[in-house]
Amino acid sequence: MKFRDRTILVTGASRGIGAAIARAFAAEGGLVFVNYRRSEAEAQAVVEACRAAGGQALAIAADVTVPAEVEAMLARIGEEAGRLDAVVNNAFAPYVFDPEARARFWETPWSAYQAQVDGALKATYNVCQAALQLMRRRGRGAIVNIATDLVARPSIPYHDYTTAKAALVGFSRNLAAELGPLGIRVNCVAPGLVWPTGASRRTPEDVKEALIAQTPLGRIATAEDVTGPVLFLASDWSGFVTGQTLHVDGGLVMG
Amino acid sequence: MNLFAGHLPGIAATEVEWRRLDFSAWGEGVTVDVPLLSEAQGLALAARVRENARSYLKTLPVAEIVATIDKAIARLLDREDPLRRQAEALLPVVTGYDAETVRLGLSGYLRTFRAPQLQRFLAEDFANPGVLDGFQPAMKGGFARAHGPELLLHIWAGNVPGLSLWSLISGLLVKAGSIGKVASAEPLLAGWFAQILAEIDPRLGECLAIVWWKGGDAASEQVWLNQADTIVAYGGNDALAAIRERAPITARFLTHGHKIGFGVVSVAALDARKAGALARLCAHDAMRYEQQGCYSPQMLFVERGGKVSPREFAEMVSRELAAFARRHPRRALSVAEAAGVAAWRSGEEMRAFDNEGRLVLGDAEDGWSVVQVDAAEPLAPSGLNRTLKIVAVESLDAVVPLVAPFRSFLQSAAIAASPEELFRIAALLGEAGVTRIAAFGTMTAPEAGWHNDGRFNLLDLVTITEIEHSAELAAEAFAPYVD
Repeated sequence: MKFRDRTILVTGASRGIGAAIARAFAAEGGLVFVNYRRSEAEAQAVVEACRAAGGQALAIAADVTVPAEVEAMLARIGEEAGRLDAVVNNAFAPYVFDPEARARFWETPWSAYQAQVDGALKATYNVCQAALQLMRRRGRGAIVNIATDLVARPSIPYHDYTTAKAALVGFSRNLAAELGPLGIRVNCVAPGLVWPTGASRRTPEDVKEALIAQTPLGRIATAEDVTGPVLFLASDWSGFVTGQTLHVDGGLVMG
Repeated sequence: MNLFAGHLPGIAATEVEWRRLDFSAWGEGVTVDVPLLSEAQGLALAARVRENARSYLKTLPVAEIVATIDKAIARLLDREDPLRRQAEALLPVVTGYDAETVRLGLSGYLRTFRAPQLQRFLAEDFANPGVLDGFQPAMKGGFARAHGPELLLHIWAGNVPGLSLWSLISGLLVKAGSIGKVASAEPLLAGWFAQILAEIDPRLGECLAIVWWKGGDAASEQVWLNQADTIVAYGGNDALAAIRERAPITARFLTHGHKIGFGVVSVAALDARKAGALARLCAHDAMRYEQQGCYSPQMLFVERGGKVSPREFAEMVSRELAAFARRHPRRALSVAEAAGVAAWRSGEEMRAFDNEGRLVLGDAEDGWSVVQVDAAEPLAPSGLNRTLKIVAVESLDAVVPLVAPFRSFLQSAAIAASPEELFRIAALLGEAGVTRIAAFGTMTAPEAGWHNDGRFNLLDLVTITEIEHSAELAAEAFAPYVD
């Protein structure tokens, strides 16, 4: 029970990887705030699953790209829990990974980049700004940002999405340098293709097979594969680790 | 969720007694009501289907039947179609196979029934498929025409989803009125297919019926056996023997019984680069449908002397099975199935205990097991549900005497070897009784128009009516234009 009496916020936790991360924290005894934007019923189902897994959980609505909503969310966490030990920035702007119908560079308007930057970077910025107060107060905390291994190896060039995540990696390193002295660690987890999730359901079999063929561990990541590294970086076990990106892709990217 | 199975043209649902079957898997449950017809209803339905087929199906050109089947299959391939969505959602719960296995298996299987594949299917059995529509000139002189059965009874097994479509489509192509008996283990897909056919061509939909009776219910079965002139039955050998005993002597009885698939790997495929990819394909064939298909491998024979040894290859296959266990988790086993796996595994462990040439890989709680054996061992069933024995052999020729004693169980074999070896070993295995040689990775997906159990799927169903040359000549003498 590594997270007993600990409070964790997971953004975009009503489905996919975020939901799996919320359940994993709950299974380790944590109090999990399950953030969602619109999918209230799904978020409530995640809360139920968290409770069934042995932890505590609350669903909490907020569009993380809107500062006022984020501030209200963190204020409520402060009231309800009085502390915040870890934040997992998992939410991102809606995106469909479809290698066949993807927009090529010359078909990608700046607005598409902007939407992804807002979803990945601005959302994380908002949450980190608002969470800082709760974490600084106790001089400790861990922030885990979900990036992608596509930054290191753009197997398929999803320009807008991957560029925004690359910015998130740079953002995280700077934040790690800034917040290290305050006792707050900032790291990234960079999964490979995670499947099945709503966003990846259009990935064709032969793309998966091609990735598997080049992956030393010989398969595609599941949402559950991502949870262990996230929990590690959120826990004291990684107490002397900050500014790092941990690839969770079966060895497709090394280094 | 409750569903009704079957397809009963001319009978209202309210007139029928229904039996409820319960299914649960992957945290969901579904109930399926299957029809239990009285003897009188059965007789009336058989008569109706026979008559509808005579007055309609038999008048359709085979090309039109192909076009209709093609449309129906296109709907089942369309992932947005409501029935396809239903199949993807419910078949995993009914069969226990994981959702991705069902989705990929369905698409791969249905693709073999599109129009071009059906044409190939026809061409495999008939040099001129026109013989199904009318008399065609025969090579030896005279004319010939092929007639399908008036009433074809299908008795299906439930081991692999969609198995029923194979014989149902064969029956349609030879214009037979069909009665299909679904298995309690998978009662849905045949009825859905019939329903789609009926939506596309309502009169065609009245030329087939999908029914149910409890497996082994001899009294219900007898009603149908008496009505059919041709019977196609799938299942275990004991069940088939019991049916054969009760089938009328005048009926043609075609069986697809229990088989044991295997694979053969030559040193040509066992270098550091190729072996990994091959191990993945071997594991795929053992994983897909939990070895419940007649075509699934239960044993691999691996030649010694390659860069990758049989033991190393067994380790690679194990690793791939472990990877598949994450992506396609094994279905929940029944008590009997779990006992079968455990008995097989513990038997092998006992033998491995004092024998250095035998290694059991993986843990008992893993969703798979591999046993590697250094000494030659004859073909034997595995524990099924992802259990595989990998036997080292001195040469590919050494495989033949290991499988030959089991002729009646032979059907599919996968071979990974050079072209020269492939043809040489295929000849030897064919003599021993193997009827299908496939590549690894495709064992569970026979190609369109394959000859199941080495038989002619369509030709076995028809009778040929011949106008002998003498009759043709004699008729000339009676022509009004005779000189």
